[in-house]
Amino acid sequence: MFDGFLAPRYIGWMIDGLGVTLGLSALASVIALVLGFVLCVLRLSPSRPVAGLAAAWLSAFRNTPLLVQLFFWYFGVSALLPDSLMAWLNAPHRIGVEAFGAPWPPFEMLAGLLGLSLYSAAFMAEEFRAGIYSVAPGQTAAGRALGMTSTQIWISIILPQAVRIARAPLAGQVMNVVKNSSLTMAIGLAELSYAARQVETETFQAFQAFGLATLFYIGAVALIGGFSQLAWGRSSPPTGAAR
Amino acid sequence: MNPSVITDNLIYFLVGPWPQGPLGGAALTVILTVLSAALSGVLGLVFGVLLSVLRGPWLAVLRLGLGLFRAIPVLMLIFWIYFLAPIAFGLDVPGVGSVVAALSLIGGAYLAHTVHAGIEALPRGQWAAASALGLSRRQTLWLVVAPQVLPRMAPSVVNQWIALTKDTSLAYVIGVAELSFVATQVSNRVMVYPAEIYLFVAVLYFILCAGFELAAGRLARRYRSLPA
Repeated sequence: MFDGFLAPRYIGWMIDGLGVTLGLSALASVIALVLGFVLCVLRLSPSRPVAGLAAAWLSAFRNTPLLVQLFFWYFGVSALLPDSLMAWLNAPHRIGVEAFGAPWPPFEMLAGLLGLSLYSAAFMAEEFRAGIYSVAPGQTAAGRALGMTSTQIWISIILPQAVRIARAPLAGQVMNVVKNSSLTMAIGLAELSYAARQVETETFQAFQAFGLATLFYIGAVALIGGFSQLAWGRSSPPTGAAR
Repeated sequence: MNPSVITDNLIYFLVGPWPQGPLGGAALTVILTVLSAALSGVLGLVFGVLLSVLRGPWLAVLRLGLGLFRAIPVLMLIFWIYFLAPIAFGLDVPGVGSVVAALSLIGGAYLAHTVHAGIEALPRGQWAAASALGLSRRQTLWLVVAPQVLPRMAPSVVNQWIALTKDTSLAYVIGVAELSFVATQVSNRVMVYPAEIYLFVAVLYFILCAGFELAAGRLARRYRSLPA
Protein backbone atom coordinates (compact mmCIF):
# COMPACT_ATOMS: atom_id res chain seq x y z
CA MET A 1 0.00 0.00 0.00
CA PHE A 2 2.72 2.48 0.97
CA ASP A 3 5.34 0.89 -1.31
CA GLY A 4 7.27 3.94 -2.37
CA PHE A 5 6.03 6.99 -4.16
CA LEU A 6 4.63 7.30 -7.69
CA ALA A 7 7.01 6.94 -10.62
CA PRO A 8 7.92 10.30 -12.21
CA ARG A 9 5.83 9.43 -15.27
CA TYR A 10 2.67 9.24 -13.15
CA ILE A 11 3.51 12.39 -11.23
CA GLY A 12 3.67 14.00 -14.66
CA TRP A 13 0.13 12.80 -15.41
CA MET A 14 -1.08 14.25 -12.13
CA ILE A 15 0.58 17.60 -12.78
CA ASP A 16 -0.96 17.71 -16.26
CA GLY A 17 -4.32 17.00 -14.62
CA LEU A 18 -3.76 19.80 -12.10
CA GLY A 19 -3.04 22.16 -15.00
CA VAL A 20 -6.34 21.26 -16.68
CA THR A 21 -8.21 21.66 -13.37
CA LEU A 22 -6.70 25.09 -12.72
CA GLY A 23 -7.19 26.32 -16.28
CA LEU A 24 -10.77 25.08 -16.45
CA SER A 25 -11.61 26.52 -13.03
CA ALA A 26 -10.08 29.91 -13.82
CA LEU A 27 -11.94 30.24 -17.12
CA ALA A 28 -15.22 28.98 -15.66
CA SER A 29 -14.92 31.34 -12.68
CA VAL A 30 -14.43 34.39 -14.89
CA ILE A 31 -17.36 33.44 -17.15
CA ALA A 32 -19.54 32.60 -14.12
CA LEU A 33 -18.74 35.92 -12.39
CA VAL A 34 -19.72 37.96 -15.45
CA LEU A 35 -22.76 35.85 -16.28
CA GLY A 36 -23.78 35.70 -12.61
CA PHE A 37 -23.75 39.49 -12.39
CA VAL A 38 -25.87 39.77 -15.54
CA LEU A 39 -28.34 37.17 -14.20
CA CYS A 40 -28.56 39.04 -10.91
CA VAL A 41 -29.36 42.30 -12.71
CA LEU A 42 -32.05 40.52 -14.78
CA ARG A 43 -33.42 38.89 -11.60
CA LEU A 44 -33.84 42.34 -10.02
CA SER A 45 -35.37 43.85 -13.16
CA PRO A 46 -38.52 45.93 -12.56
CA SER A 47 -40.12 44.07 -15.49
CA ARG A 48 -42.00 41.11 -14.02
CA PRO A 49 -41.59 38.73 -17.00
CA VAL A 50 -37.83 39.37 -17.14
CA ALA A 51 -37.41 38.91 -13.38
CA GLY A 52 -39.60 35.80 -13.46
CA LEU A 53 -37.65 34.21 -16.31
CA ALA A 54 -34.36 34.95 -14.56
CA ALA A 55 -35.69 33.44 -11.32
CA ALA A 56 -36.79 30.28 -13.17
CA TRP A 57 -33.37 30.03 -14.89
CA LEU A 58 -31.52 30.38 -11.56
CA SER A 59 -33.79 27.85 -9.85
CA ALA A 60 -33.36 25.32 -12.67
CA PHE A 61 -29.55 25.51 -12.59
CA ARG A 62 -29.28 25.55 -8.78
CA ASN A 63 -31.67 22.68 -8.15
CA THR A 64 -30.31 20.04 -10.53
CA PRO A 65 -27.02 18.16 -10.08
CA LEU A 66 -23.99 19.45 -11.95
CA LEU A 67 -23.29 15.88 -13.08
CA VAL A 68 -26.64 15.63 -14.88
CA GLN A 69 -26.11 19.08 -16.42
CA LEU A 70 -22.70 17.96 -17.71
CA PHE A 71 -24.22 14.79 -19.20
CA PHE A 72 -26.86 16.95 -20.85
CA TRP A 73 -24.32 19.29 -22.45
CA TYR A 74 -21.94 16.50 -23.43
CA PHE A 75 -24.26 13.71 -24.61
CA GLY A 76 -27.55 15.56 -25.11
CA VAL A 77 -26.37 18.58 -27.03
CA SER A 78 -24.08 16.58 -29.28
CA ALA A 79 -27.18 14.59 -30.33
CA LEU A 80 -29.27 17.72 -30.86
CA LEU A 81 -26.73 19.74 -32.85
CA PRO A 82 -26.56 19.17 -36.60
CA ASP A 83 -23.88 16.68 -37.65
CA SER A 84 -21.99 19.27 -39.66
CA LEU A 85 -21.58 21.52 -36.62
CA MET A 86 -20.45 18.59 -34.44
CA ALA A 87 -17.91 17.61 -37.09
CA TRP A 88 -16.64 21.20 -37.12
CA LEU A 89 -16.43 21.29 -33.30
CA ASN A 90 -14.54 18.00 -33.18
CA ALA A 91 -12.09 18.90 -35.94
CA PRO A 92 -9.01 20.82 -34.82
CA HIS A 93 -8.91 24.54 -35.56
CA ARG A 94 -6.34 27.14 -34.76
CA ILE A 95 -7.69 29.70 -32.33
CA GLY A 96 -6.25 33.14 -31.88
CA VAL A 97 -2.97 34.20 -33.39
CA GLU A 98 -0.22 31.79 -34.33
CA ALA A 99 2.02 33.02 -31.52
CA PHE A 100 -0.24 31.59 -28.82
CA GLY A 101 -0.67 28.37 -30.77
CA ALA A 102 -3.30 27.15 -28.33
CA PRO A 103 -4.65 23.81 -29.47
CA TRP A 104 -8.34 23.50 -30.31
CA PRO A 105 -10.04 22.20 -27.16
CA PRO A 106 -11.65 18.75 -27.35
CA PHE A 107 -15.45 18.64 -27.17
CA GLU A 108 -15.44 17.38 -23.55
CA MET A 109 -13.50 20.51 -22.62
CA LEU A 110 -16.08 22.76 -24.32
CA ALA A 111 -18.99 20.89 -22.72
CA GLY A 112 -17.26 20.86 -19.32
CA LEU A 113 -16.51 24.57 -19.46
CA LEU A 114 -20.06 25.40 -20.53
CA GLY A 115 -21.64 23.18 -17.87
CA LEU A 116 -19.40 24.33 -15.03
CA SER A 117 -19.78 28.02 -15.98
CA LEU A 118 -23.57 27.95 -16.22
CA TYR A 119 -23.93 26.01 -12.97
CA SER A 120 -21.58 28.30 -11.04
CA ALA A 121 -23.10 31.47 -12.53
CA ALA A 122 -26.43 30.65 -10.87
CA PHE A 123 -24.75 30.51 -7.45
CA MET A 124 -22.71 33.66 -8.07
CA ALA A 125 -25.89 35.50 -9.09
CA GLU A 126 -27.41 34.68 -5.71
CA GLU A 127 -24.29 35.94 -3.90
CA PHE A 128 -24.49 39.23 -5.82
CA ARG A 129 -28.19 39.48 -4.98
CA ALA A 130 -27.57 38.85 -1.29
CA GLY A 131 -24.92 41.60 -1.39
CA ILE A 132 -27.33 44.05 -3.00
CA TYR A 133 -30.11 43.21 -0.52
CA SER A 134 -27.81 43.84 2.41
CA VAL A 135 -27.37 47.51 1.45
CA ALA A 136 -29.90 49.32 3.63
CA PRO A 137 -32.94 50.52 1.63
CA GLY A 138 -32.74 53.89 3.41
CA GLN A 139 -29.63 54.63 1.34
CA THR A 140 -31.64 54.51 -1.89
CA ALA A 141 -34.16 56.90 -0.37
CA ALA A 142 -31.32 59.16 0.78
CA GLY A 143 -29.82 59.15 -2.72
CA ARG A 144 -33.17 60.08 -4.19
CA ALA A 145 -33.60 62.88 -1.65
CA LEU A 146 -30.26 64.25 -2.86
CA GLY A 147 -31.67 64.33 -6.39
CA MET A 148 -29.66 61.39 -7.80
CA THR A 149 -31.05 59.37 -10.71
CA SER A 150 -31.53 55.64 -10.20
CA THR A 151 -28.50 54.91 -12.42
CA GLN A 152 -26.39 57.16 -10.21
CA ILE A 153 -27.76 55.50 -7.09
CA TRP A 154 -26.87 52.05 -8.46
CA ILE A 155 -23.39 52.97 -9.61
CA SER A 156 -22.20 55.16 -6.78
CA ILE A 157 -24.16 53.89 -3.77
CA ILE A 158 -25.47 50.34 -4.05
CA LEU A 159 -22.94 48.46 -6.21
CA PRO A 160 -19.72 49.53 -4.46
CA GLN A 161 -21.10 48.36 -1.10
CA ALA A 162 -22.78 45.26 -2.52
CA VAL A 163 -19.58 44.09 -4.22
CA ARG A 164 -17.60 44.65 -1.02
CA ILE A 165 -20.11 42.52 0.92
CA ALA A 166 -20.35 39.84 -1.79
CA ARG A 167 -16.65 39.36 -2.56
CA ALA A 168 -15.86 36.94 0.29
CA PRO A 169 -18.88 34.72 -0.49
CA LEU A 170 -17.89 34.94 -4.17
CA ALA A 171 -14.40 33.73 -3.27
CA GLY A 172 -16.14 30.81 -1.56
CA GLN A 173 -17.96 30.13 -4.82
CA VAL A 174 -14.65 30.15 -6.72
CA MET A 175 -13.47 27.45 -4.29
CA ASN A 176 -16.62 25.52 -5.18
CA VAL A 177 -15.76 25.87 -8.88
CA VAL A 178 -12.38 24.23 -8.26
CA LYS A 179 -13.99 21.39 -6.29
CA ASN A 180 -16.87 20.98 -8.75
CA SER A 181 -14.48 20.84 -11.71
CA SER A 182 -13.72 17.29 -10.50
CA LEU A 183 -17.09 16.17 -11.87
CA THR A 184 -15.95 16.78 -15.45
CA MET A 185 -14.01 13.51 -15.18
CA ALA A 186 -17.38 11.82 -15.74
CA ILE A 187 -17.47 13.18 -19.30
CA GLY A 188 -13.88 12.13 -19.91
CA LEU A 189 -12.07 15.40 -19.34
CA ALA A 190 -8.51 14.59 -18.26
CA GLU A 191 -8.40 16.82 -15.19
CA LEU A 192 -6.95 16.06 -11.76
CA SER A 193 -9.53 13.52 -10.50
CA TYR A 194 -9.46 11.74 -13.85
CA ALA A 195 -5.66 11.60 -13.71
CA ALA A 196 -5.76 10.25 -10.15
CA ARG A 197 -8.18 7.52 -11.17
CA GLN A 198 -6.01 6.67 -14.20
CA VAL A 199 -2.85 6.44 -12.10
CA GLU A 200 -4.68 4.31 -9.54
CA THR A 201 -5.86 1.92 -12.26
CA GLU A 202 -2.35 1.60 -13.74
CA THR A 203 -0.27 1.36 -10.58
CA PHE A 204 -2.68 0.17 -7.85
CA GLN A 205 -1.06 2.88 -5.71
CA ALA A 206 -4.45 4.24 -4.63
CA PHE A 207 -3.10 5.92 -1.51
CA GLN A 208 -0.41 7.86 -3.37
CA ALA A 209 -2.64 8.82 -6.31
CA PHE A 210 -5.61 10.06 -4.29
CA GLY A 211 -3.31 11.55 -1.66
CA LEU A 212 -1.46 13.68 -4.19
CA ALA A 213 -4.72 14.78 -5.87
CA THR A 214 -6.23 15.65 -2.48
CA LEU A 215 -3.15 17.71 -1.59
CA PHE A 216 -3.41 19.58 -4.91
CA TYR A 217 -7.10 20.36 -4.30
CA ILE A 218 -6.48 21.50 -0.72
CA GLY A 219 -3.59 23.64 -1.95
CA ALA A 220 -5.70 25.32 -4.63
CA VAL A 221 -8.61 25.97 -2.24
CA ALA A 222 -6.23 27.25 0.47
CA LEU A 223 -4.62 29.64 -2.03
CA ILE A 224 -8.01 31.16 -2.86
CA GLY A 225 -8.85 31.41 0.85
CA GLY A 226 -5.46 32.96 1.59
CA PHE A 227 -5.90 35.50 -1.18
CA SER A 228 -9.36 36.42 0.11
CA GLN A 229 -7.96 36.86 3.61
CA LEU A 230 -4.93 38.92 2.55
CA ALA A 231 -6.81 41.14 0.12
CA TRP A 232 -9.95 41.77 2.12
CA GLY A 233 -9.01 40.91 5.67
CA ARG A 234 -11.73 38.35 6.08
CA SER A 235 -10.79 35.39 8.23
CA SER A 236 -12.14 33.06 5.56
CA PRO A 237 -14.94 32.98 3.06
CA PRO A 238 -18.21 32.07 4.72
CA THR A 239 -18.60 28.45 5.57
CA GLY A 240 -22.22 27.90 4.69
CA ALA A 241 -21.86 28.76 0.99
CA ALA A 242 -24.50 26.98 -1.07
CA ARG A 243 -23.07 24.51 -3.48
CA MET B 1 -38.19 15.43 -28.80
CA ASN B 2 -39.28 11.86 -28.35
CA PRO B 3 -41.26 11.15 -25.17
CA SER B 4 -41.51 7.39 -25.72
CA VAL B 5 -37.96 6.80 -24.47
CA ILE B 6 -39.14 8.25 -21.13
CA THR B 7 -42.49 6.48 -20.90
CA ASP B 8 -40.99 3.12 -21.96
CA ASN B 9 -38.37 3.30 -19.21
CA LEU B 10 -40.32 5.22 -16.57
CA ILE B 11 -40.44 2.41 -14.02
CA TYR B 12 -36.70 1.78 -14.49
CA PHE B 13 -35.94 5.48 -13.87
CA LEU B 14 -38.03 5.44 -10.69
CA VAL B 15 -37.04 2.15 -9.00
CA GLY B 16 -34.32 0.54 -11.16
CA PRO B 17 -34.47 -3.26 -11.62
CA TRP B 18 -36.66 -3.66 -8.48
CA PRO B 19 -38.58 -5.92 -7.66
CA GLN B 20 -36.60 -8.45 -9.75
CA GLY B 21 -33.30 -6.93 -8.63
CA PRO B 22 -32.07 -4.46 -6.03
CA LEU B 23 -33.84 -1.11 -5.58
CA GLY B 24 -32.32 1.66 -7.70
CA GLY B 25 -33.19 4.80 -9.66
CA ALA B 26 -34.94 7.76 -8.06
CA ALA B 27 -35.99 5.64 -5.06
CA LEU B 28 -32.33 4.90 -4.24
CA THR B 29 -31.51 8.60 -4.68
CA VAL B 30 -34.14 9.44 -2.05
CA ILE B 31 -32.83 6.75 0.30
CA LEU B 32 -29.23 7.97 -0.08
CA THR B 33 -30.40 11.54 0.61
CA VAL B 34 -32.43 10.64 3.70
CA LEU B 35 -29.65 8.49 5.20
CA SER B 36 -26.94 11.08 4.63
CA ALA B 37 -29.18 13.95 5.78
CA ALA B 38 -29.88 12.14 9.07
CA LEU B 39 -26.23 11.19 9.65
CA SER B 40 -24.88 14.61 8.66
CA GLY B 41 -27.41 16.17 11.06
CA VAL B 42 -26.07 14.10 13.95
CA LEU B 43 -22.42 14.81 13.01
CA GLY B 44 -23.17 18.52 12.50
CA LEU B 45 -24.78 18.80 15.94
CA VAL B 46 -21.96 16.98 17.70
CA PHE B 47 -19.16 18.87 15.94
CA GLY B 48 -21.01 22.19 16.24
CA VAL B 49 -21.45 21.81 20.00
CA LEU B 50 -17.80 20.74 20.28
CA LEU B 51 -16.73 23.87 18.34
CA SER B 52 -18.51 25.91 21.02
CA VAL B 53 -17.28 24.09 24.11
CA LEU B 54 -13.75 22.93 23.20
CA ARG B 55 -10.77 25.16 23.93
CA GLY B 56 -7.05 25.13 23.05
CA PRO B 57 -5.35 22.48 20.91
CA TRP B 58 -8.41 20.23 20.62
CA LEU B 59 -10.38 23.09 19.10
CA ALA B 60 -7.55 23.67 16.59
CA VAL B 61 -7.53 19.98 15.64
CA LEU B 62 -11.32 19.96 15.16
CA ARG B 63 -11.22 23.15 13.08
CA LEU B 64 -8.48 21.71 10.87
CA GLY B 65 -10.41 18.46 10.39
CA LEU B 66 -13.63 20.22 9.47
CA GLY B 67 -11.71 22.58 7.17
CA LEU B 68 -10.21 19.61 5.31
CA PHE B 69 -13.61 18.05 4.71
CA ARG B 70 -14.87 21.32 3.29
CA ALA B 71 -11.78 21.83 1.11
CA ILE B 72 -11.81 18.54 -0.80
CA PRO B 73 -14.23 17.66 -3.58
CA VAL B 74 -16.98 15.19 -2.61
CA LEU B 75 -15.71 12.95 -5.40
CA MET B 76 -12.25 12.69 -3.78
CA LEU B 77 -13.75 11.68 -0.42
CA ILE B 78 -15.89 9.02 -2.11
CA PHE B 79 -12.72 7.63 -3.76
CA TRP B 80 -10.85 7.67 -0.45
CA ILE B 81 -13.55 5.69 1.30
CA TYR B 82 -14.36 3.35 -1.56
CA PHE B 83 -10.84 2.49 -2.69
CA LEU B 84 -8.81 2.98 0.47
CA ALA B 85 -10.95 1.71 3.34
CA PRO B 86 -10.51 -1.90 2.07
CA ILE B 87 -6.71 -1.49 1.84
CA ALA B 88 -6.20 0.50 5.02
CA PHE B 89 -8.63 -1.19 7.39
CA GLY B 90 -9.52 -4.39 5.57
CA LEU B 91 -13.09 -3.13 5.44
CA ASP B 92 -14.96 -3.84 2.27
CA VAL B 93 -17.27 -0.85 2.15
CA PRO B 94 -20.12 -1.29 -0.32
CA GLY B 95 -20.80 1.55 -2.78
CA VAL B 96 -23.91 2.76 -0.98
CA GLY B 97 -22.05 2.85 2.34
CA SER B 98 -19.13 4.80 0.83
CA VAL B 99 -21.43 7.43 -0.61
CA VAL B 100 -23.47 7.85 2.57
CA ALA B 101 -20.27 8.08 4.65
CA ALA B 102 -18.70 10.68 2.33
CA LEU B 103 -21.83 12.83 2.08
CA SER B 104 -22.46 12.65 5.84
CA LEU B 105 -18.91 13.71 6.71
CA ILE B 106 -18.95 16.64 4.28
CA GLY B 107 -22.52 17.65 5.14
CA GLY B 108 -21.69 17.36 8.84
CA ALA B 109 -18.60 19.57 8.42
CA TYR B 110 -20.73 22.30 6.82
CA LEU B 111 -23.55 21.96 9.38
CA ALA B 112 -21.11 22.10 12.30
CA HIS B 113 -20.39 25.73 11.49
CA THR B 114 -24.10 26.51 11.19
CA VAL B 115 -24.72 25.00 14.62
CA HIS B 116 -21.68 26.78 16.07
CA ALA B 117 -22.76 30.14 14.62
CA GLY B 118 -26.27 29.62 16.02
CA ILE B 119 -24.92 28.91 19.49
CA GLU B 120 -22.55 31.91 19.39
CA ALA B 121 -25.40 34.18 18.28
CA LEU B 122 -27.15 33.71 21.63
CA PRO B 123 -26.29 36.39 24.19
CA ARG B 124 -23.62 35.10 26.60
CA GLY B 125 -25.83 36.32 29.44
CA GLN B 126 -28.13 33.36 28.89
CA TRP B 127 -25.37 30.93 29.91
CA ALA B 128 -24.73 33.05 33.02
CA ALA B 129 -28.43 33.24 33.79
CA ALA B 130 -28.84 29.48 33.43
CA SER B 131 -25.83 28.89 35.64
CA ALA B 132 -27.27 31.31 38.24
CA LEU B 133 -30.44 29.18 38.20
CA GLY B 134 -28.33 26.15 39.04
CA LEU B 135 -28.42 24.46 35.60
CA SER B 136 -25.40 22.43 34.55
CA ARG B 137 -23.68 23.19 31.23
CA ARG B 138 -25.31 20.14 29.66
CA GLN B 139 -28.76 21.17 30.94
CA THR B 140 -28.20 24.68 29.63
CA LEU B 141 -27.32 23.29 26.22
CA TRP B 142 -30.42 21.11 25.97
CA LEU B 143 -33.01 23.21 27.81
CA VAL B 144 -31.96 26.77 26.99
CA VAL B 145 -29.71 26.85 23.93
CA ALA B 146 -31.08 24.06 21.71
CA PRO B 147 -34.73 25.16 21.70
CA GLN B 148 -33.70 28.63 20.53
CA VAL B 149 -30.94 27.69 18.11
CA LEU B 150 -32.40 24.67 16.30
CA PRO B 151 -35.49 26.33 14.73
CA ARG B 152 -33.37 29.21 13.47
CA MET B 153 -30.99 26.81 11.75
CA ALA B 154 -33.80 25.18 9.83
CA PRO B 155 -33.35 27.16 6.56
CA SER B 156 -29.63 26.43 6.26
CA VAL B 157 -30.21 22.80 7.18
CA VAL B 158 -32.73 22.51 4.35
CA ASN B 159 -30.22 24.15 2.00
CA GLN B 160 -27.75 21.44 3.00
CA TRP B 161 -30.33 18.84 2.03
CA ILE B 162 -30.55 20.37 -1.45
CA ALA B 163 -26.77 20.09 -1.79
CA LEU B 164 -26.91 16.49 -0.50
CA THR B 165 -29.65 15.51 -2.95
CA LYS B 166 -27.54 16.81 -5.84
CA ASP B 167 -24.37 15.24 -4.46
CA THR B 168 -25.97 11.76 -4.36
CA SER B 169 -25.56 11.82 -8.15
CA LEU B 170 -21.80 11.33 -7.56
CA ALA B 171 -22.56 7.75 -6.52
CA TYR B 172 -22.54 7.25 -10.30
CA VAL B 173 -18.72 7.21 -10.36
CA ILE B 174 -18.51 4.07 -8.23
CA GLY B 175 -21.38 2.33 -9.98
CA VAL B 176 -24.18 2.74 -7.42
CA ALA B 177 -27.41 2.38 -9.41
CA GLU B 178 -29.09 5.64 -8.33
CA LEU B 179 -30.93 7.98 -10.69
CA SER B 180 -27.93 9.36 -12.64
CA PHE B 181 -26.39 5.92 -13.09
CA VAL B 182 -29.68 4.45 -14.24
CA ALA B 183 -30.05 7.35 -16.69
CA THR B 184 -26.67 6.62 -18.29
CA GLN B 185 -27.60 2.92 -18.45
CA VAL B 186 -30.80 3.72 -20.35
CA SER B 187 -28.98 6.22 -22.55
CA ASN B 188 -26.27 3.71 -23.43
CA ARG B 189 -28.82 1.00 -24.13
CA VAL B 190 -31.14 2.94 -26.45
CA MET B 191 -28.26 4.96 -28.02
CA VAL B 192 -30.63 7.75 -29.12
CA TYR B 193 -32.34 10.70 -27.43
CA PRO B 194 -29.78 11.41 -24.67
CA ALA B 195 -31.09 14.99 -24.43
CA GLU B 196 -34.59 13.77 -23.55
CA ILE B 197 -33.27 11.33 -20.97
CA TYR B 198 -31.04 13.82 -19.15
CA LEU B 199 -33.69 16.55 -19.25
CA PHE B 200 -36.22 14.18 -17.69
CA VAL B 201 -33.75 13.11 -15.01
CA ALA B 202 -32.97 16.78 -14.31
CA VAL B 203 -36.70 17.39 -13.84
CA LEU B 204 -36.90 14.55 -11.29
CA TYR B 205 -33.98 16.04 -9.32
CA PHE B 206 -35.54 19.49 -9.65
CA ILE B 207 -38.81 18.29 -8.10
CA LEU B 208 -36.90 16.92 -5.10
CA CYS B 209 -34.67 19.98 -4.66
CA ALA B 210 -37.21 22.71 -5.45
CA GLY B 211 -39.50 21.16 -2.84
CA PHE B 212 -36.75 21.65 -0.27
CA GLU B 213 -36.07 25.17 -1.58
CA LEU B 214 -39.74 26.15 -1.09
CA ALA B 215 -39.61 24.73 2.42
CA ALA B 216 -36.41 26.66 3.18
CA GLY B 217 -37.99 29.93 2.01
CA ARG B 218 -41.07 29.35 4.18
CA LEU B 219 -39.00 28.51 7.24
CA ALA B 220 -36.77 31.56 6.70
CA ARG B 221 -39.79 33.85 6.53
CA ARG B 222 -41.36 32.28 9.60
CA TYR B 223 -38.28 32.61 11.80
CA ARG B 224 -37.34 36.05 10.57
CA SER B 225 -40.48 37.36 12.28
CA LEU B 226 -39.45 35.88 15.63
CA PRO B 227 -37.91 38.25 18.21
CA ALA B 228 -34.13 37.89 18.28
